[in-house]
Amino acid sequence: MSNENSTLYSKKNLPGNFAKIGQMLLAVGLILVVLAYFVDHTRSAFNNLILLMFLTSIGVGSLFLVAMEYLGGAVWSTPFRRITEFFAAVILVIPLAAIPIYFNLHDLFHWTHAEAVAEDKILAGKSSYLNETFFIIRIVFFIAVWFLFYFLIIKNSKKQDSSGDPKLTTRNIKLSAVFIPIFGLTITFASIDWVMSLEPHWFSTIFGVYFFSGTILAALAFTTFIVVYMNEKGLLIKGIKKDHYYSLGAYLFAFINFWAYIAFSQYMLIWYANLPEETFWFLQRWEGGWMYISIALIIIHFVVPYFGLLSQPSKMNPKRLMFMSIWILFAHIIDLYWLIMPTYSKDSVPLGWIELAFPILAIGAVITVFSIKAKKENHVPIGDPKLKRGLDFRL
Amino acid sequence: MSTVDYTREISVIEGQPPLREIDEVISKPLETKPDKKFYMAISVTLTMLLIGGIALGLSFYYGTGLWGNNNPVGWGLPIVNFVFWVGIGHAGTLISAILFLFRQKWRTGIARFAEGMTIFAVMTAGIFPLIHVGRPWLAGYLIPYPNQHSLWVNFTSPLLWDVFAVSTYFAVSFIFWYVGLIPDFAALRERTTNKIKKVIYSIGSLGWRNSNRHWQHYEMVYLILAGFATPLVLSVHTIVSFDFAISILPGWHTTIFPPYFVAGAVFSGFAMVQNVLIFIRKIFNYEHIITLKTLENMNKIILLTGSMVGYAYAMEFFIAWYSGVQPEQFTFLNRAFGPYAWAYWIMVSCNVISPQLFWFKKIRTTIPVMFVIAVFVNVGMWFERFVIVVTSLSRDYLPSSWAYFTPTLTDFGILIGSFGLFFTLLLIFTKTLPVVSIAEVKAVVDGSQPSHKDH
Repeated sequence: MSNENSTLYSKKNLPGNFAKIGQMLLAVGLILVVLAYFVDHTRSAFNNLILLMFLTSIGVGSLFLVAMEYLGGAVWSTPFRRITEFFAAVILVIPLAAIPIYFNLHDLFHWTHAEAVAEDKILAGKSSYLNETFFIIRIVFFIAVWFLFYFLIIKNSKKQDSSGDPKLTTRNIKLSAVFIPIFGLTITFASIDWVMSLEPHWFSTIFGVYFFSGTILAALAFTTFIVVYMNEKGLLIKGIKKDHYYSLGAYLFAFINFWAYIAFSQYMLIWYANLPEETFWFLQRWEGGWMYISIALIIIHFVVPYFGLLSQPSKMNPKRLMFMSIWILFAHIIDLYWLIMPTYSKDSVPLGWIELAFPILAIGAVITVFSIKAKKENHVPIGDPKLKRGLDFRL
Repeated sequence: MSTVDYTREISVIEGQPPLREIDEVISKPLETKPDKKFYMAISVTLTMLLIGGIALGLSFYYGTGLWGNNNPVGWGLPIVNFVFWVGIGHAGTLISAILFLFRQKWRTGIARFAEGMTIFAVMTAGIFPLIHVGRPWLAGYLIPYPNQHSLWVNFTSPLLWDVFAVSTYFAVSFIFWYVGLIPDFAALRERTTNKIKKVIYSIGSLGWRNSNRHWQHYEMVYLILAGFATPLVLSVHTIVSFDFAISILPGWHTTIFPPYFVAGAVFSGFAMVQNVLIFIRKIFNYEHIITLKTLENMNKIILLTGSMVGYAYAMEFFIAWYSGVQPEQFTFLNRAFGPYAWAYWIMVSCNVISPQLFWFKKIRTTIPVMFVIAVFVNVGMWFERFVIVVTSLSRDYLPSSWAYFTPTLTDFGILIGSFGLFFTLLLIFTKTLPVVSIAEVKAVVDGSQPSHKDH
């Protein structure tokens, strides 16, 4: 099997400036971020949280997409599963983004202040969950679990390149079955810990699902962009066609709708019931100029990509797909900004070079991780028994 | 570790039967007289229907005081049953529309039947809100129209949104089902020798001649209707969940309700479809069309949605504690350890624990075991609605008005009647229309697809 495929595939390197752009963004981002920390410590810590959430979205979300392919037995995405695997490697840099958070817990999280908790009955009630020790234990645990499954799943996939052993697929299906429920729980509690607890009085049962929907969308956008980009330049493998593009577009489209559905459900129910212990969170995102960001979020995260990918031809148009992927990544950053920053600044919308520095670093980091992996490894899982079927895939 | 051949697609229809044989097998129940088993089955379901009819007749004569509904549990069993039956309907649309958009070929064998179940379940569900209003003959006022009294419905009430959502859902499901039936009507029209049947089938087939152009239009319409039905199916149970979630009652007002209700609906619906199909495939000899693999796939979806429901239960519990809001915390402790603890633990063990057994391939592919688990799921999902409706209402904000709700015999009579109605309609369906789509099944038999390979 693997011999037959390896004749179809010969590795072609990414254009040299691809890695260079990544490194440049990474370097510029890094310098700006260090500067930002000197200029405004607290503000940078909040932006750092956006960075952490973004890298989590891309890394863990990509690993979830890989696991879904195995578990669902999908074949259409097999020819470019390796691309998603490269993005999953972003998991490895999550700790680097998490360490600054550890040193700034007091600036970020109100509940870490013992004197505030002592005065506040509700916070005191939560202190068995929201306390620094348990919080750190959870962070370490989440990241450790993600590392573990990253190494287990990716190792088998890589090994298959040379051996072509179908048993490795079976093994990965089993690993994916274990990973997916664990993913569901870790991503939920990570979002509760890192984002929801910024406003420790606020609570919403759907919050984990909300973050999950954005996560998958962002991870998928990166994969879509790179697959279309590389395939249009002929850098992947012969056989990836409009049918694959359509499926990627439809996948994106489904999650755009899913995100909107979850976001609407959360807003609608809180608005309608009008209970003060819940509404204040949305009021924060309406007053002091935040109204514009809230409205922009609806347009950027839902309306534009919805109409941009609604029609059948648009899901197969490489230019449209690439544009929409970048757009969705931008939307995800806006979403994270909207979730996190109102806690930092209630009466004005902070928009300055610091807010640019961290996304630049984030994008730079993702591209750099990707180009390092892409340089070392095959871009296509050539030993995968499903590869041939994936290339033959037709709608 | 078993070695699976991943290089080949698993056939949806086993044994590559000749296309003619598919015609024969599927239309056989329509061309033969009902046998003894059929009469036995329908006598049971008609008896159940009769019990429901009597219970309902008594309720009309003596009034709704025959039911257990009282303060503070004003919603009682009718609403529990309503949500249960609407939920059952969801699997049909998921299989026929959403899995169609996902291009899952294994849906072909079961789609028609599941859609039929959707229609019957929504019909059954529709009875409950009507009788629950107490004066069903005034239900026409739910439809907003300009009238001399300048009387308008309350547009801000989710109960009214339900009227719109469920009726739209029913209409679209029915059209979708009928459009799928058109080519089959034509096939039956050609086969039948009975004159009356021929007329009926001819009208149903709308002049279908299997021409290229017909197929082209058909495929287009089918795709568009699937695209319509998909958001509709989500909206219906979302709005049903709004009935609860927009209130401020602890245990009802929680933001995860919409996706949680949709997952629960698909969960119970799949369990019901699986239960009935196990009999259908055996009795009608459809084992090569509705294969064990199809049943296994359904069990996987039951596992997936069951886990989602379990996630929602856990999240509700955790956030109730985390919120620090006392009534919230009390409500959930009351559910698990209060007077309705028995119902709560039936719900948890049936909905969360039993489907987890489907992690094992052996259990997923053993018919008696999967049947029992799916029955548990249905029981559990009925109890889920019971727990939601009853526990929250029976102990609301005002402890002086707390009361224990006990359903009466009339309540159960109507519940039995609803099952009677559903299964009677289903049995009639099996003898009047093809329960498996003839045209679609032919398209997924191995070797019938045009080859895409570059030769």
